[in-house]
Amino acid sequence: MSMSILEACVFAVIFIGFFGIIFKKNLIMKILAMDVMSTGVIAYYILVAARGGIFAPIVDAEQEAIAYADPVPQAVILTAIVIGFSIQALMLVGVMKLSRDNPTLETSEIEKSHTP
Amino acid sequence: MDDITIIWILLPFVVGFSIYLLPRWNRYFALAIAGLSVAYSIGLLWSLEPFTLELLDSFGVTLMFDELSGYFILMNGLVTGAVLLYCFDKQKSPFFYTQLVILHGAVNATFCCADLISLYVALECIGIAAFLLITYSRSDRSLWVGLRYLFISNTAMLFYLIGAVLVYQASYSFAFSGLAVAPKEAIALIFLGLLTKGGIFVSGLWLPLTHGESETPVSALLSGVVVKAGVFPLARCALLVPELDPIVRLFGVGTALLGVGYAVFEKDTKRMLAFHTVSQLGFVLAAPAVGGFYALTHGLVKGALFLTAGQLSSRNFKILREQSIPRAYWWVLVLACASISGLPFLAGYSSKILTMKNILPWQSFALNVAAVGTAISFAKFIFLPTKTDPSLKISPNFYGAVVLLLGGLFVTNSFYLEAYQPSNILKALVTIGIGWLAYGLIFQRITVKLPRVVEQFEHLVGVMSLVLTGLFWLVLA
Repeated sequence: MSMSILEACVFAVIFIGFFGIIFKKNLIMKILAMDVMSTGVIAYYILVAARGGIFAPIVDAEQEAIAYADPVPQAVILTAIVIGFSIQALMLVGVMKLSRDNPTLETSEIEKSHTP
Repeated sequence: MDDITIIWILLPFVVGFSIYLLPRWNRYFALAIAGLSVAYSIGLLWSLEPFTLELLDSFGVTLMFDELSGYFILMNGLVTGAVLLYCFDKQKSPFFYTQLVILHGAVNATFCCADLISLYVALECIGIAAFLLITYSRSDRSLWVGLRYLFISNTAMLFYLIGAVLVYQASYSFAFSGLAVAPKEAIALIFLGLLTKGGIFVSGLWLPLTHGESETPVSALLSGVVVKAGVFPLARCALLVPELDPIVRLFGVGTALLGVGYAVFEKDTKRMLAFHTVSQLGFVLAAPAVGGFYALTHGLVKGALFLTAGQLSSRNFKILREQSIPRAYWWVLVLACASISGLPFLAGYSSKILTMKNILPWQSFALNVAAVGTAISFAKFIFLPTKTDPSLKISPNFYGAVVLLLGGLFVTNSFYLEAYQPSNILKALVTIGIGWLAYGLIFQRITVKLPRVVEQFEHLVGVMSLVLTGLFWLVLA
């Protein structure tokens, strides 16, 4: 039961992020919204890893039959976290450069002036 | 072969980072990497024994090498080599060459992945390297175009990641073949990511602005090679999982028509070429089994066309018609356009015939319409007036790049000699004839400007949700 509530919350976070990308006008806010969305995706991986149990998967010969968490999704999502963070950093540097000539950073304005 | 393969995959990244420290030699090392890829792919196509490399205790992490990857890798090597030759005397900084080589390596990696996570890492690596190349000039416009590209691709890849974990949950493996047992929504999410990355159908409407506004060598590389990184996995999935084949073919037909529909009305040279890329990717997906050869010929042509279009005095067809273009450029344009329109004796003809032989009956009408549309849109280049310009200095590097690409077209023509039958030749000539007639009588005079509202950033993100819904119903059906 609590698993499905968690899952609903995780998907809510993903949707909030996605709608933020569409509805926020400011470029910085859009990037933050994308970060919210990727946080949701990361949380979903953790949730999937915890389906079978939440014990850290370090095998103990003394104790049998412990519900370990699945290490694979956690390992995979580490890569995605690093990639996501580096892309965020790159984009924010790009926005800093853009903000010299577009101090308001409104996407519609920037788009208007750069669409040939 | 296994050791050679691993060295070949790793080398671009090692060399890419080290040439940053060797400013004098970077161009030569970069060229050597491109040459290595060409040599490797020829070896792969020659031996023709598909093999796979599996990670120990792998959860499905696999690299797969067969004819399909061979063609794609050959295309990557040739186009990257040509772009490097073109840039040889352009005083680019070491940073540019570093990004170029890393991009080359990442694209190579996508062409041999057979699992979702290796593919994710390679695609994101491509996204970052492409962004740095697009924004190389640091102008405000290039920054905006690059940011927009990174935004769209990263958002699409987030959906892809959700799909990947659903596949893992169903089969405890990340291999593409796990899609057969995965829940339907996983397929829809993964396809959304790949369609957006590969510029297919409505998800590909970010592509024209990105490829049109980048500088010449970067446009050639993006259109010739980088978008194929999203298309290749789609073709691979269609071959590994038969249930997905009809969906991939349907998107192929859709994007072939959509791209050509925009291309015939386009008045700007680079945007026309970019819309045409959207359409040609459809031909690659329309017959996934033989898509490799088609992608190769398209990559060679697109590289040559973008490099030449960047040399012309204007990007507007109307102004070019008034001013005339230098004859040397015109010859390059004619050879490239003839190949892509499907004129015999160039590789574009044999690859088109091969694709048409491998499509299903319901696709043939739409793809023939798209072929006529291709002839119409390239007639714009072929029928430009020419002039001799004695003062024009064409750099030998430009010639080197073009000879490499067009020479590739003549040589690869021999890959499928069965195409030369009287009925096929007649059909190709009729298709081109109809296209040129339609151009002369109708499309030359039309001044319709298609609205560009769908290319706005917010709409591009919004369309993702629509495509996702559509995909979901397609998979469910």
